[in-house]
Amino acid sequence: MIQPSEIEAELLAFLRCDIFSPATSLTAETDLVGAGFDSMSLVKTLLHLETKYGRWIPESEITNEALANVTALAATAARILNEK
Amino acid sequence: MKSDQPLNGSDQLMRGFDFESRRHGFAGNQCQIILELAAKISPATLSARVAARQTEFPILLARLGGLFRPRWKICDRTKKTVPVRTHRDAPGLRQKLLNEPLDLRRGSLIRFDLIERADGLMDVVFTWTHMLMDATAAEHFLTAVSDDKISLPRTNPQPPGAPAKWPERLDLMKKSVAQLDKFCEQQPRALKTRHAGAPRALQYRVEKFTAAETKAVRANGARLCGILGDAQFHAVAAALELHRLHQKLGAATRSYILPMPVGLRPKGRIEPLFSNQVDMLMLQFLPEQLAAADTAAAALKAQTASALRESSLSYGRQLSEIFSFLPLPVYMAVLKHGLKGEVCSLFFGDTAAVNPKLENFLGVAVNDFTHIAAVTPSPGLGVIYHYFRGELRVSIVHAQTVLNESEAADFAAALRHRLLNP
Repeated sequence: MIQPSEIEAELLAFLRCDIFSPATSLTAETDLVGAGFDSMSLVKTLLHLETKYGRWIPESEITNEALANVTALAATAARILNEK
Repeated sequence: MKSDQPLNGSDQLMRGFDFESRRHGFAGNQCQIILELAAKISPATLSARVAARQTEFPILLARLGGLFRPRWKICDRTKKTVPVRTHRDAPGLRQKLLNEPLDLRRGSLIRFDLIERADGLMDVVFTWTHMLMDATAAEHFLTAVSDDKISLPRTNPQPPGAPAKWPERLDLMKKSVAQLDKFCEQQPRALKTRHAGAPRALQYRVEKFTAAETKAVRANGARLCGILGDAQFHAVAAALELHRLHQKLGAATRSYILPMPVGLRPKGRIEPLFSNQVDMLMLQFLPEQLAAADTAAAALKAQTASALRESSLSYGRQLSEIFSFLPLPVYMAVLKHGLKGEVCSLFFGDTAAVNPKLENFLGVAVNDFTHIAAVTPSPGLGVIYHYFRGELRVSIVHAQTVLNESEAADFAAALRHRLLNP
């Protein structure tokens, strides 16, 4: 069972390093789309999760609510990754 | 004081397109931003603002140099100035400005034209050579011209993640060649000169969408390409209509190549400003994939994920950089050789939402905003998307030697319909 908090920490580290500039003060509550997160960022993030957890999260599972912030995205990812 | 700034692979690619365009008698690879102002501004004020930025960034008047590695030769004590010209509006003026080349040899890399309209309003036409900067950077530059309190980054560092080691570059180059060879198994054939007697000039038209129409287009994009799928849907719609255009004109091709620019700057970062920070995601669409919007979207999404998984996004940039030591005619021949003589099937750009600071310019409200980019004479067709104040704008640029006005108008209308009814 993967905990959402684990994915959240993983996502924050990835997004800070590979998507956003160091000048962006990214937190778990930052509005991702408002900060410039786009479709390429999403695909890169899903690929990172696939590499890390071995499962592709279909883009169809990613809703506006899931992209509200890192916490919501981590919760969505955890739900799908923990599905049998 | 003199200094140098080398061109990166993307800048060099833009330089190659500039050469290709001029070689065929067109103006070159230059872009425009047109601001439709709600009132007149003073040419003297604009000149002063531009001069201040020119002093701050002498690269704006740099010359191209470098025998084996192209570079900007920057001199901060030049007496040259960026042109700021004023015109009375007249039929054909905007097209004339689009087709008036910048004199790169004399360090004329950007210019401003103010158009006094008959209704008492004014348009600002900002023209720049694409090898100097990309559209995102151009928007940032304009905000700084508009507001002297805005500070632009002085340094011009390269973004992280760019492969620097030669073995890695060579590996990416080899993969690029392999990818193009694979594309050529279904050989693309771009539109060629069909109106040989037409002027060697570009023409453009802008499709404007209301807020309600934009909402409908976005909903279609989300349905077909998922959340945040706007740009992908825009590319799909353009590819579908390109296929229809080819069929209508009887221009047979076994595939279509659409290079989709992808920004390299980390989100939230402006610099490097005077440099193209774009990689090309090379997409190939087969005619059968363009039979319907959902199959086209599926093809695009599969290629996007594959490109990111295999790091193929930066293939072309590395290839371009490695061959940049070649004389331009040879450089372009090498690039075109990859696709058996073609540059691509369609130029595509999506600059997303216009920088909100450009809703005003020099204290005057901006009523509308247009992005225009040049296209090489083959394929002679390009589509650029952007949002201004939340409303979609689509600029369609065509070479008059490739499409006549009626054909271009038909393509634009069909693209508009496709976006609303995929």
